[in-house]
Amino acid sequence: MTLLIILRIVFILSFVLVLIPVLVLLERKISAFIQDRPGPNRTNIAGIRLGGLVQALADALKLAIKEDFTPSSIRSKFLFALAPMILFLLSTLTIAVVPFSDYFTLDGVKYLMQGIPFDGGILWYLGLASLSVYGIILAGWSSNNKYSLLGSLRASSTVISYEIPLGLCVVSMILTYNSISLNDFVLAQQGSFFGLPAWGFLIQPLAFIIFLVCAFAETNRAPFDVAEGESEIVAGYHLEYSAMSFAMFFMAEYIAMTAMAALIVTIFFGGYSLPYLSSSDLMQNYELTLVCLAIFVSVFGLIFIRWLVKNNVTRYKTKADHRKRENKFYIAMALLVVLAIDLVCLYFYAYSLESFGKEMMALVINASVFSVKTFVMLFVFIWVRWTMPRFRYDQIQRLGWEMLMPLAILNIIITALVVIYVN
Amino acid sequence: MSIKIKKITRNKMSFKQRIYLFYISLGMLRTLKHFFKNLLNTKNIDFLEYPEQKPTDITSRYRGLHRLTKNEDGELKCVACDMCATACPAKCIFIMASEVESKKEKAPIKFSIDMLECVYCGLCVEACPKDAIRMDSGIYTKTGFDRQSFVRDIVELSNTKGGF
Repeated sequence: MTLLIILRIVFILSFVLVLIPVLVLLERKISAFIQDRPGPNRTNIAGIRLGGLVQALADALKLAIKEDFTPSSIRSKFLFALAPMILFLLSTLTIAVVPFSDYFTLDGVKYLMQGIPFDGGILWYLGLASLSVYGIILAGWSSNNKYSLLGSLRASSTVISYEIPLGLCVVSMILTYNSISLNDFVLAQQGSFFGLPAWGFLIQPLAFIIFLVCAFAETNRAPFDVAEGESEIVAGYHLEYSAMSFAMFFMAEYIAMTAMAALIVTIFFGGYSLPYLSSSDLMQNYELTLVCLAIFVSVFGLIFIRWLVKNNVTRYKTKADHRKRENKFYIAMALLVVLAIDLVCLYFYAYSLESFGKEMMALVINASVFSVKTFVMLFVFIWVRWTMPRFRYDQIQRLGWEMLMPLAILNIIITALVVIYVN
Repeated sequence: MSIKIKKITRNKMSFKQRIYLFYISLGMLRTLKHFFKNLLNTKNIDFLEYPEQKPTDITSRYRGLHRLTKNEDGELKCVACDMCATACPAKCIFIMASEVESKKEKAPIKFSIDMLECVYCGLCVEACPKDAIRMDSGIYTKTGFDRQSFVRDIVELSNTKGGF
């Protein structure tokens, strides 16, 4: 039981913290590919570049050993130091209520697979996510700098225009799923809906669009990242920050983005569950599941190796081609991982699983599906950032108050009518 | 007299434009196309792997690092007249002159340029009456580990070959 508590806290914490360097890399690589350039491809450890991940580690090292300079002009040194901590802490806490797997049954007791086992998950999320803007406002105000203050004012203008449609969308989803527990949201999406998986974005397309738009504003991402603005207000609320306290804003944005992606996946894309399959289906046909898993991993590994051999090549003439050595390393590692997973599957296939083993298998598959879905959602976040220009803050307020809020209220009315008269 | 006011009527956006979603999805499709084109075949990306591959399209008017030119006898053309150092807006040229017994009466014994100060404006080249200093070495990078290595002295300057 203690193992379960540690496991879920470790999973959710490592999920957000390990994802930060990966996200920095993804942001740079995706933006590079969208703009027809290769992105970070130089930094390496013994010739191994991990596709540019070493660059993210080097950046982190640089930020950690830089001088943390505090200007003498700031108003309150305490609040100045507190602001990034508030933002970082609240962003980290928001993801704690997102379920990453189905109930774990041990000796007849069901355990919720969330960082914090709390049934009113969505309320916790909304409360903490809207509090986190205090970090931005405090940072801007305590910097004693006009540009920072403008940035934080713009952040608060975004908040007042987006919190309401976001909350109203959640209300319509609560009406649809008839619960405020995020795990019930996922369980409700495991059925089918006119032959399609009963995912939230198919049942409530309007709520999905409004929620997605608000999600970008909530996480301070483009096109609604008015709190920042290189061209208008120098940088925004984090102008006076340096080194690690700046990096904390940076990390808080990525954690908030991960949390929001996880929440969107949970509400609208079936969370941790595979389409049409509930985790009890997985556990009953565990032999078939293991075979499918092994085949899927092998095929994916082979596709990866083929892509690597085709793309990771040197484009100039050289005697010491470090990329050939690097490719050998990658291929060996990929084969090793595929072989290890296949062997584990084979072992469990040969020696039939007990109930604990089945539960563990379902947990691993669910957590992987959840991670993959979150990654796809994160890709959308980054993809939108590198496509659209920033909105003006009055445009955001108009969009929020005049378009999204009436639509969200309309959506609630329609949902309520459907819930009462159709079901 | 009243000020002439020109009224500009803004074109009203059509419904398709005001709803944003249609054109946003078109734009996102465009960027996604670029992303997959480059992800599936990174060889198609047109770029230079810089330190190993050098650019080949540098024009002859490009201002590279400075060099000091020599005459047919192999001695420096420079007569240490200080014109370049005077013209330099960054004050990065340091010349020490001395008398010599040759065709010219004066020559530099010390001639150094601090490349960390230099703004590559080319005014020294324009100012030189003897065509002794040029910025045509074709070298476009200068790297070093300390400040002193960026001060190029007379030996280094006169040994640099012309690139174009």
